[in-house]
Amino acid sequence: MKGPHSFSLRGRLVKLLTGVLAVVWLFAVLVVYQRTHHEADELLDSQLTQVAGTLLAIMAGGEVEHFVNELHEHADHCPVPIVFEIWRLDHGVMRRLATSPGHDAFEADMIDGFSEHLHQGNRWRFYAEQDEDAEYRVVAGQSHAARERLAREIGLSMLLPALLALPLMALAVWWGVGRGLEPVNTVARQIGRLDAQALVPLDESVALPNEIAPLRNAFNVLIRRVSDAFDNERRFTADAAHELRTPLAALKIQAQVAQRAQTPDSQQHALAQVVAGVDRMTHLVEQLLTLARVDPTKSLEPMPSFDPAAQLREMCAGFSASALPKGQHLAVDIASGCCLALPPAWLDIAARNLIDNALRYAGDAARIEVRFAREGDCCVFSVADSGEGISQDLRARLTGRFTRGETEAEGCGLGLSIVARIAALSHAQLEFGDGLPRAGGGHGFAARLRFNAVADAA
Amino acid sequence: MRILVIEDDRLLGDGLQAGLSQAGYAVDWLRDGEAATSALLTETFAAVVLDLGLPKRDGLSVLQWMRERRDATPVLILTARDQLEDRVRGLDLGADDYVLKPFDLDEIAARLRALVRRAHGRTQPVLAWQDITLDPAARSVTRAGQTVELTQREFDLLHLLMENRGRVLTRRSLEEQLYTWNDAVDSNALEVHIHHLRRKLGSGLICTVRGVGYRVPAA
Repeated sequence: MKGPHSFSLRGRLVKLLTGVLAVVWLFAVLVVYQRTHHEADELLDSQLTQVAGTLLAIMAGGEVEHFVNELHEHADHCPVPIVFEIWRLDHGVMRRLATSPGHDAFEADMIDGFSEHLHQGNRWRFYAEQDEDAEYRVVAGQSHAARERLAREIGLSMLLPALLALPLMALAVWWGVGRGLEPVNTVARQIGRLDAQALVPLDESVALPNEIAPLRNAFNVLIRRVSDAFDNERRFTADAAHELRTPLAALKIQAQVAQRAQTPDSQQHALAQVVAGVDRMTHLVEQLLTLARVDPTKSLEPMPSFDPAAQLREMCAGFSASALPKGQHLAVDIASGCCLALPPAWLDIAARNLIDNALRYAGDAARIEVRFAREGDCCVFSVADSGEGISQDLRARLTGRFTRGETEAEGCGLGLSIVARIAALSHAQLEFGDGLPRAGGGHGFAARLRFNAVADAA
Repeated sequence: MRILVIEDDRLLGDGLQAGLSQAGYAVDWLRDGEAATSALLTETFAAVVLDLGLPKRDGLSVLQWMRERRDATPVLILTARDQLEDRVRGLDLGADDYVLKPFDLDEIAARLRALVRRAHGRTQPVLAWQDITLDPAARSVTRAGQTVELTQREFDLLHLLMENRGRVLTRRSLEEQLYTWNDAVDSNALEVHIHHLRRKLGSGLICTVRGVGYRVPAA
């Protein structure tokens, strides 16, 4: 799939590297060309001095006329022909003794050493030298254009291989980058092979470069978290399905009993049981939905802090009516000013479940105390009752899904799972302990939710 | 036929008790494993219907306890778990049959009849003595091909005696297997039922063993 911002890392690296290399390479080539040109110039200059020196030496030995012709003929075949002129001091006056055949006389007032002058309409480079007695003077010259041509040819002959090297270099970069990125492809293939149904972490025994290993580690952490969540959900669905079987069985049996009842009384009894069964299943389904609705992604969002006192008081007021039929006494003590940061609906669900549990299981005429108060850095919501209490052994298992206390009362065993889930998602602690003293000795049950207090609501 | 139902779910237990009673069983219902073991120590049941997830004492542990003390009462397990290993474990621990929730009342009743029949070593579903036949499934009795009308108690009493043909059943064991804890038992009720059965089916069927009890002759 090509997204709007998709690009190839390999293509990008090849472009980047080739571009940078090309600039560096171009600069190097220019320097090489310039240096070569300069060296060629020096070489030609040394040729001039050498020719001039040789001529001077020969002058001293005579045979000038013949040698000049020979030399000219020879020099004409060179890529940069050398022309020359020989002067001689004759009775205090310098006279031209010989000029290369086919050339006009050079300018007369040339200084010793290198100089450049116009000659026959073109620029020439000359070298003048005289012997120690100042008897002979030799001027050797080369056409500037010919010199330049040679220097350029030498320079270009260096450039050509370098030019050919450029595409080869790009190819090498492309190949090298491909090799270098191979681990990325390996990881990509590993990820591509993953099955959404069976998420397994990538094989960590395969060695990866330091740059990519963190990516794989992070990916594996994610995979483990996702597959844990998956397993959890799968187990939950299985548990829920199993948990529905018992009430379904009860409904079916009671309905069949009603169908076959021989007396109106027994039929009415069975039908009443069917209605109770439907109510119980409704409660179970509602609790299941509540559990499913506690959306874990909410815990990632920053929550505004709020003072839950009013919300909690209102909720407790709603419960006082439920306490009446069993003669239970609900005492409420909610302190203001302890602020929490969690979705208010979560607090509502958790608190409701704890109070509902107490009312359901504490038994007739029990006292139930609901408190919310600051304890140090925490805001603690607690529900304590004077009921039968719960053994230490069972307390440890209470938050498991579909665990019910050893009780006569009906319940679906999900309430505390929901509270535990909310506690975990809002970084609160759910603690169980002894409740209020019981009339016949011992204690009832108490559940406490310890939330982190936050700064006051703005 | 007296059945012990051990089921912690109130609606299901109540339904099983009512439904199996309609099917002609005498049903006692207990809601936890500990109560079940103490009942099984003192009373005789034709079969036990056992739920696995029980408070105080787990269903499988009750089953294991029964088999360890050589209690051969047939056990039918009710399970909400359809995992193979759960069923295998139950059967390996000595369960005779299992049904997966939710189930049909007729199915439970039929399976219980089959369990009781197998427990007495029978392969034929219908019991017979001379020209008298008793069909537990149809709850019908015939004599020389003619249907004989019996009350529920009379049928259950005859069923017990014919199931244990050739063996003497004491008054106490008969009463224990016919009446649940909820039934009010008259001291001479058993004699009255025996008297009615003899009148309807002839006097040769049930013999009185003085001071001990009653039996149906082996042949």
